[in-house]
Amino acid sequence: MDSLIIEPTEFTPRINFDPENNLFEISGFSRPENVIGFYRPVLKWLDEFSDNVLSKNIDYNKNLLTVNLRMTYFNSASSKFILDILLEFMKYHSRGNEVLINWYYEEGDDEIQESGEEISDMLGYPFNFIPYQT
Amino acid sequence: MGEVEIVSEELLRHFGPLSYEEIGFLLNKMATLLDKRGMNITIRKKVYAAMVESLENIYKHQDTIADDKEYMPKFSLLIDSQNISLFVSNSILNHKVSLLKGKLDKVNSLDKDGLKDLYKNTILSGNVSPKGGAGLGIINIAKVSENKVNYTFSAINDRYSYFTLNVLISHNIK
Repeated sequence: MDSLIIEPTEFTPRINFDPENNLFEISGFSRPENVIGFYRPVLKWLDEFSDNVLSKNIDYNKNLLTVNLRMTYFNSASSKFILDILLEFMKYHSRGNEVLINWYYEEGDDEIQESGEEISDMLGYPFNFIPYQT
Repeated sequence: MGEVEIVSEELLRHFGPLSYEEIGFLLNKMATLLDKRGMNITIRKKVYAAMVESLENIYKHQDTIADDKEYMPKFSLLIDSQNISLFVSNSILNHKVSLLKGKLDKVNSLDKDGLKDLYKNTILSGNVSPKGGAGLGIINIAKVSENKVNYTFSAINDRYSYFTLNVLISHNIK
């Protein structure tokens, strides 16, 4: 399955979903003018990834899926879609795949850190919180 | 005893229709102005979030009055020694007032944990509308503000009112 790569714009984040390495990254800024138009293809890609890749892995050892979220800002409409994306990974987890969620935040940025804590709480799933310096 | 005079300074002002790019321009300008004043990243992010949600609210939900020049969208950002204050105004159809007022009164009745719960319940149950609103904007404004959200509705005529939202963000927290 091909990777999903969406380059960032002034209003939208970078998406890099690499199924070969089981690495899924969203980074940057999210305030799309058309939030549904931006995120629907991402969710569709995850559906196809589930059907075409994960469902075909019949090994006892399932995949380790690493999700890296390195957001600098996302508006409330985007938060709904970030949650929906992570809910997809929760489904993969419930089917036996290991899921590691890394939540990066700029040191001192309480808003992004707390947003991550709230989403982690909503999912009932622990995140790995990683501060970085600019 | 004399009154305490609070001197506030206007940092930014906009009057007239708002495009998505203009919202971006105002946000960038605000970030530069607050950075110059040495505001920390959390304060800047709070003001940023309150501005995005309130200006996008105008962009997505305002009810424009045809041929009107008086009640167009209005935005201003002020600072005093304690707070950063946003004023955001737009015209709205009268029949939408009670629903919006209800949402504002609801968030004003809740403390920090109550707002977190409301946000959680809304995001988990609500659908995103075709305009991209998830019903979360006002809750998010109240969350980042950590103050009561002030508002007024002034009747323009039997069809429209002029809605003004005032969001305070304390920057002098010791």
